[in-house]
Amino acid sequence: MSRTLTIDPVTRIEGHAKVHIDIGDDGKVASATLHVLEFRGFERFVQGMQAELMPTLTTRICGTCPHAHHLVSAKALDIMFSAPPPPAALLLRQLLNCGSMIHSHAIHFFALAGPDIFLGEKSPVGKRNLMGLLEAAPDLAKKALRLRSIGQTMVEIVGGRGTHPVTAVAGGMSCGLTKESHATLNALAAEALELAKVVLDAGKKALAKDPEMLGRLPLKVNDMGTLKGNALDLYDGRLRVRKPDGSVAVDFAAADYADHLVEEALPYSYGKQVLLKDTSGATQPYRVGPLARLNCAEVTGTKLADAALAEWKATCGDPSPLVVAGHWARLVEILHCAEKAVSMLDDETILSADVRTPPGAIQRHAVAHVEAPRGVLIHDYHVDDKAIIESANFVVATQHNISSINTTIKDAASRLLGGSDSDLLDGVEFAIRCYDPCLSCSTHRVGQMPLEVSLWQGGQHIRSARR
Amino acid sequence: MAKVTVSFEWLSGCSGCELSIVDLHERLLAVLEQIDIVRLPILMDVKDYPKAKLGIITGALRTHHDVECAKKMRASCDAILAYGTCGVYGGPQGSGYAHAQSELAETAFVNNPTTSTHFVPDQGVPKLLAEGVLALDAAISVDLYLPGCPPHAYYVFEALRSVLDGKPPQFGEHNVCYHCDRHMKHTEVAALRRVHQGSLEKDACFLSQGILCMGSATLDRCRGACPTRGMPCSGCAGPSEAIVLEPNRDIRTEVATRMSMMTKIPKATITSEIEKQAKTYYAYAMASPVFREKPTFLLRRWISQQGAAR
Repeated sequence: MSRTLTIDPVTRIEGHAKVHIDIGDDGKVASATLHVLEFRGFERFVQGMQAELMPTLTTRICGTCPHAHHLVSAKALDIMFSAPPPPAALLLRQLLNCGSMIHSHAIHFFALAGPDIFLGEKSPVGKRNLMGLLEAAPDLAKKALRLRSIGQTMVEIVGGRGTHPVTAVAGGMSCGLTKESHATLNALAAEALELAKVVLDAGKKALAKDPEMLGRLPLKVNDMGTLKGNALDLYDGRLRVRKPDGSVAVDFAAADYADHLVEEALPYSYGKQVLLKDTSGATQPYRVGPLARLNCAEVTGTKLADAALAEWKATCGDPSPLVVAGHWARLVEILHCAEKAVSMLDDETILSADVRTPPGAIQRHAVAHVEAPRGVLIHDYHVDDKAIIESANFVVATQHNISSINTTIKDAASRLLGGSDSDLLDGVEFAIRCYDPCLSCSTHRVGQMPLEVSLWQGGQHIRSARR
Repeated sequence: MAKVTVSFEWLSGCSGCELSIVDLHERLLAVLEQIDIVRLPILMDVKDYPKAKLGIITGALRTHHDVECAKKMRASCDAILAYGTCGVYGGPQGSGYAHAQSELAETAFVNNPTTSTHFVPDQGVPKLLAEGVLALDAAISVDLYLPGCPPHAYYVFEALRSVLDGKPPQFGEHNVCYHCDRHMKHTEVAALRRVHQGSLEKDACFLSQGILCMGSATLDRCRGACPTRGMPCSGCAGPSEAIVLEPNRDIRTEVATRMSMMTKIPKATITSEIEKQAKTYYAYAMASPVFREKPTFLLRRWISQQGAAR
């Protein structure tokens, strides 16, 4: 199953990610497609498992943001076992989410996008990587790496382990905080907040001083994000789709996702794309993730991030069509998560020993969603009367973006076709990276993204550019 | 001292093992000082397989391409370390063992409730192995095994240190109970129950409460992450040393023996329940030949007896 959307450029296809570009008779790019080449089959083999295994088993769909699968399946179990979590458990789950968001966003922005943004695209290829960034801006790069480490350590403390956390269960959490762990978390969150201010400031300045880069890949498309009222919420709320003209297309509860979203298989890829469908059955693309979330939200609910959001909207537009502004959005979210972590740890409720509601009657169908770092993640389970899984359906963040990623690749390729292969590869890589797709290698590189772009015309393979 | 050359390869997995290396946090720098990484797919653009003293492979074998890559690693490295439960035992996707490969694809692509199309992608995507998922040593010889999903930083650091120093690792082959401080005690509990059925005693062994916990049958590569935080062990690091080495022992016999001694639940009731719920209790190591060759192990039959839908 490509639900993980792990495109492994290196191991799956001669060590390369595959992008397929079709050129029309007019010599222009007709279409561009990203190919997902990993399939594991989780939806089938979880059938027959005990439902309570899902929060720990489904983390293994993706090691980059396992906490999101952990939390969304625990949320589904809350519904399945009629056990709404007590307040302390909700705070702990959100704290887990904040820690992981900080870790994931920080590693993306600095290890992956950072080299282009801070060193410039024209810097030598051998230097345009994390090592080059460590040389050129050691203080900033070290702060960013420390921020990642803090985020993951928060997950380790609250979730029991950093990669593949274990503590979210039906009805809440399997254990609460001790005084000692609370004190450690307090210190970490305070440090994260200071670091988040510094890296946001540095990232924002670097992007704002290069309007060409920031404005290069505009895409007017629907945005989808989770809101409580009009405020950003990364853990729970209603899903809202905002149109490019700023109006709201639809606003719905995750439980009704099947009425609004439809998946489509693609013959060349194990990654299904998801589209928005209206009442007439017509479909439209949309995007999710930091850019989409900030486009949907009017406020973040934390003070410093609210100011940062207002500045982001004033510079990039509201809603912003600028795909590259997603990098900046990621830093605003880091600041929000750090602020939120500090405020949740200040709330004495989080120290309560009451972290788990006893289970009640079994509900046969449960749907839940959460905002993963890369966007909306949905788990949908049917169980029998003994809570054994009868069927499961997972809609994973990167799937929502497949259609927009392909459009942006086409845009980048159109501008660069006819130039050098090296520019084409750089441009395509830059375009894909804006979406931070969960192609695990592209999110954690030191060198270049190994990539193969093949050009086709009239069904004939013309040539491939690769590195 | 010359640095040790290390080559990495990543097959069918989730990327969690790669992150577990980053999660050495500040100790990562100490490791990096001693090694010279010649190949690292997620970070470096190296297409071929340079010679290396140590080859670290994460992930299981899922496609023919995975098998090819594993063989190239074997040929280019002096020693191979299978890193993580997927490489050692097949990992969670090894649960596909209970199904034909076409069933897995049909659920995702042909008969999926929110998918409007009804075909399985077949243009240029890698072909899946007919056997489903295989552990690494089904295709190549493996010198060192480090299961864990992912292994805890303590074991990662110690394993790397032992290879770098050329000395045996200083960690034992304990099971998960080694790090668990719950009290084992005799109880009057007469029936098995699941974790959602009734209240939990905070400090008592799960088995003595009638709740199945795989800790006593699972190798500790997590430092007791689950039972020390209120969760029964789900066996993610694979079986304990005793089970791996002795053909007459199995997860269910190990757990049933202990549990029946602490409670009033008959041993046969416990083994039977684990067989009925084989998908749950063998979730991480189902694909392993260690189990397939055991005379006691009839996974496919147990699962098929639970009905076609399971």
